Amino acid sequence: MKLLWPLILRRAPGFLLALALSVLTLAAGAGLLGVSGWFLTGAALAGTAVAFELFAPSSAVRGLSFLRIGARYGERMTGHAVTLAMLSELRSTLFARLIPLVPMKGVAGRTGDFVARLTADIEALDMVMLQAVLPLLTACTAAAGLALMLWLTLPEAVPVGVAGFALTALAVPLALVLGGRRIGAATVSASSDLRVAALDGIDGHGDLVALGATEAGMERFNAAAAQLRVARLAEARRVALGPALAQLGAGLTMAATLWLGLEALASDRISGPILTGVLLAILGLFEVTGPILRGAGRIGSALAASRRVSEIVTTRPLIRDPLAPARLPGEGPLVIDHVSYGYGIDRPVLTDVSFTAQPGERIAILGASGSGKSTLLGLITRLDDVNAGAIRFGGIDIRDATLADLHDHIALLTQDAPVFIGTVRDNLRIGSPFADDATLYTALGNARLAEFVRGLPQGLDTWLGESGATLSAGQARRLCLARTLLSPARLILLDEPTAGLDGATEAEFLGDLLTATEGRTLVVATHAALPRAAVDRVVRFEDGRLVETERR
Amino acid sequence: MSTIEHDPASAATRLGAAEMAWLKAQRRAGGLWLRVAIAVPLVAGLFTVAQAFTLATIIDRALVGNVPPADKIGQVLQLVAIICARAGLALLGERLGSRASEDVKRAIRESLQASIMARSPEWLRERSSGVLASQLVDGVEALDGYFARFLPAMIAAAVLPLAFAIGLMPVDIVVGALFLVTAPLIPLFMALVGWGAEAASRRHMTAMTRLSGLFADRLRGILVLKLFGRAEDEVARVKAASDDVAKRTLQVLRIAFLSSAVLEFFAAIGVAGVALYVGLTYVGFIDLRGSTLGLQAGLFCLLMAPEVYMPLRTLAAHYHDRAAAKAAVADFAALIDTPEDVAASAAPTKSLPTGALPVTIRRLTLHAAGRGVILDDVDLDILAGARIAILGPSGIGKSSLIEAMARLRSFEGSISIGGVPLGEIDEGSLRREVALLGQRPRLFHGTIADNIRLARRDATDSEVSLAADRALVGDFADRTPDGLETAMGERGRGVSGGEAHRVALARIFLRDPGLILLDEPTAHLDAVTEARIIDAILAFAEGRTLVVVTHSEAVARSMDRIYRIAGGRLLPVPHRPVGVASARRERGDLP
Repeated sequence: MKLLWPLILRRAPGFLLALALSVLTLAAGAGLLGVSGWFLTGAALAGTAVAFELFAPSSAVRGLSFLRIGARYGERMTGHAVTLAMLSELRSTLFARLIPLVPMKGVAGRTGDFVARLTADIEALDMVMLQAVLPLLTACTAAAGLALMLWLTLPEAVPVGVAGFALTALAVPLALVLGGRRIGAATVSASSDLRVAALDGIDGHGDLVALGATEAGMERFNAAAAQLRVARLAEARRVALGPALAQLGAGLTMAATLWLGLEALASDRISGPILTGVLLAILGLFEVTGPILRGAGRIGSALAASRRVSEIVTTRPLIRDPLAPARLPGEGPLVIDHVSYGYGIDRPVLTDVSFTAQPGERIAILGASGSGKSTLLGLITRLDDVNAGAIRFGGIDIRDATLADLHDHIALLTQDAPVFIGTVRDNLRIGSPFADDATLYTALGNARLAEFVRGLPQGLDTWLGESGATLSAGQARRLCLARTLLSPARLILLDEPTAGLDGATEAEFLGDLLTATEGRTLVVATHAALPRAAVDRVVRFEDGRLVETERR
Repeated sequence: MSTIEHDPASAATRLGAAEMAWLKAQRRAGGLWLRVAIAVPLVAGLFTVAQAFTLATIIDRALVGNVPPADKIGQVLQLVAIICARAGLALLGERLGSRASEDVKRAIRESLQASIMARSPEWLRERSSGVLASQLVDGVEALDGYFARFLPAMIAAAVLPLAFAIGLMPVDIVVGALFLVTAPLIPLFMALVGWGAEAASRRHMTAMTRLSGLFADRLRGILVLKLFGRAEDEVARVKAASDDVAKRTLQVLRIAFLSSAVLEFFAAIGVAGVALYVGLTYVGFIDLRGSTLGLQAGLFCLLMAPEVYMPLRTLAAHYHDRAAAKAAVADFAALIDTPEDVAASAAPTKSLPTGALPVTIRRLTLHAAGRGVILDDVDLDILAGARIAILGPSGIGKSSLIEAMARLRSFEGSISIGGVPLGEIDEGSLRREVALLGQRPRLFHGTIADNIRLARRDATDSEVSLAADRALVGDFADRTPDGLETAMGERGRGVSGGEAHRVALARIFLRDPGLILLDEPTAHLDAVTEARIIDAILAFAEGRTLVVVTHSEAVARSMDRIYRIAGGRLLPVPHRPVGVASARRERGDLP
């Protein structure tokens, strides 16, 4: 909750108003029932209009009705307004805190997973204030109100009333949440097994058909589905206790109060109408347990989500700017000087790699996938630091410069660069925020996408991503390339720029690299066949070692 | 999924009649449990009446007829028994509801997955596997509340308020009439408000869907934004988009929440109306009934007032379960119907002969989505035991050709294997005799050995390890402590493309096919490994027919015949078969 507290506190007036309205709604409901019971019984006992004052109770009944309707509406509006505003701030705060942390070690290859979990975690937090915390606070206030009411009317019922209410509205939900943690984990793991089985069947469909093994795939899926059913049923058995215990708690508390009330009535310590009113008011107060039980199930997962999110944002960044940074020169050679890098001792990725890229030189890094090409490009942009050796740009070790400065000088097209939700222009301007349309079209032309964009009805203003135009894999790749080319950086690093392009376009594209990157230094990692004129030098990698360099 | 009751981004889902009928028909899988779960709240309604009646009686007797305390104990105990019975029924209803819902979801998952597996590979190629898997797992899970809670609540809300109202008629006709009129009005007004909210949602629809995904989108691309130094600027954008979504959501909620206000309004009117009517009758202010009304009857009416509206409240609380189910069904509607081509055609029955199989292709035309005609009127004869290579740049249609030969892609013209037209070969026989290595073989969740054994379930450990050795799986498997028992796939060790190819090749080596179709068997491999794999393939292909699709000249040169695909044609390439060793010697340029 560390992350949420400051956001909640900043909106304390809003939440307090929502809480007050929520308490008022409950009080008006209980009051309505109580006054009705009291009025009705009183009238029955009086028997004539003369002996009974009508005006106050009848107007109270009407007033409480309208108070309840208004308070309910107000509570929902204020509660949602303040929650939605808080969520919006939570998202942007989280985003801002994540910037210095990416890329995170350990999640580098599973960014999709990581993002999916983070988004799911935030959704688990979204309405928890409103659906779980607010009803609980309302119940606490209601417990106090109940105690006060009983103390004034039937003091001997205070212990049993308050205990019954607290058990039903607070202890039972809490017990269900705590007891459910382990079972919840079983469901999560069964459901992810099912997802893996589903993916195996779908992605491996062709293989399964060709092997004549579709039955085997379906059996595995069905077994996983049955497993999930068992896990969910175990959870459901526990959840089912909630509504039952709520009914039991409300009924027994009322019955106990009734019993004490009948005793008090016999010894004339309470009047009949008041006893009826108190009993009905108690029934009305227990209404709050419904939302609590519905919301309580979410508290456990929300707490877990909040803990995971907090863990992420409180991590110390892997790469930090030096206290006294050196400024990189505008242009200069890129020197890879005896660089080694690996994940732990037994998994070396790069071993003693050295080469130099002179200004304006074009270098291709060739090698099978997994030979360390992408890792080296990541090290040049300081996504992580080398284990041994150094990388220098213009004579300055890149660890002595700030990241912002480095990224002004070196642009990288990553293998999985995304097309962002937004217009074509938005996507391109990430590379150069103030570029005019002519510049954008030049870059698009270099990436062989200009004609396509010109042909779109809305041109650069075409919306991409969700509920917008979709690009083919090749077009998306070319858009990302155009974005990279727009960067002012003098050194351009391309990681498999032609992935997703067909053979003819790939050849054309590589042939065009010369013009596209005119005057800049280029390092391109690829396993495509390169036209002879495309680069000045070829560096070949095998298993993280540089095995040969070849001048063209 | 967000849990806002009326989420404008997901609200205005409309289902066709067929989908709605499908959803309703799924109840059958819930069986007896679902029917009992629906009946339980109705039975519980009887106990609700009993509880109100008993409570009213106890108070009435205590206040009006001076009953001795001894009788009071019996009555209060009776009340407690009723309360316990109600709680028991609530427990039973919840459990049976979940039970039925789990059975339904499991049945739906199995049938959807069977429907997916029965589709053509072409159909699957056009879809994202992540989306399909999430429909099977999360999409079906979203139906949970619909079957477990919404259906019972809906029946209860349709029956109980009216039953209570009619049941109260004999006690007091006016109170009964009040409930009878107000109870059906509530769903009516709520529906009216719901339509308003839906219209408001639709007004914001495009903007909402565009903006609501922005956070996840920018999060996915945060590394790229950081590399361009744009991340800080995007913070403001994410904030602005979120604020805009919040503002638009509130505009919709303003209308949507009127529905809960309607419910509150009628519930309050019900209680207040009964209290005022009964109270004023007692004091003689109004007299709408001929006879007098006792305290017991009046209290009973008042106690029943909240209960009449309770089923509607419960229904309202579970209403978003219905919206979630509708959204999920709309999402996977395309999976619901079994594909016609699978359902209609009778299973072919002819078997293939064993041994090397010849292939005859006549007037073959292949289309690919978005690429038009990729092969046009092609003839090809492959003799039994021949080894042929098909060359061509990527995307030209090589893979499509061998997929068509393996009956994994539809085509025009005719293909016969071993003299039997492809369409007439029994599925089991076809898969036994024709082995295919796809372009991107999938490694399944399990060990390397499990993955290889998929090709032949009864293979012994030594057969599996022999096949693995021949496909050079040992090159990387031996580097791990568990060897062939190393876990692979989604949550196992990551594998490179080249490694997956070798495991898939080992699968083929475990079998005894008469025709081997290989798609780029040496992709992602370095020159030395490539040459070793070619040797292994040629050795295995002895006495079988081999068709290799490749863009590696080295692979092509070690075959008997080479064809090149160009301009939709299959052109023979002049070629003198060479040994593998000389092919390796000639290598040395870039791939």
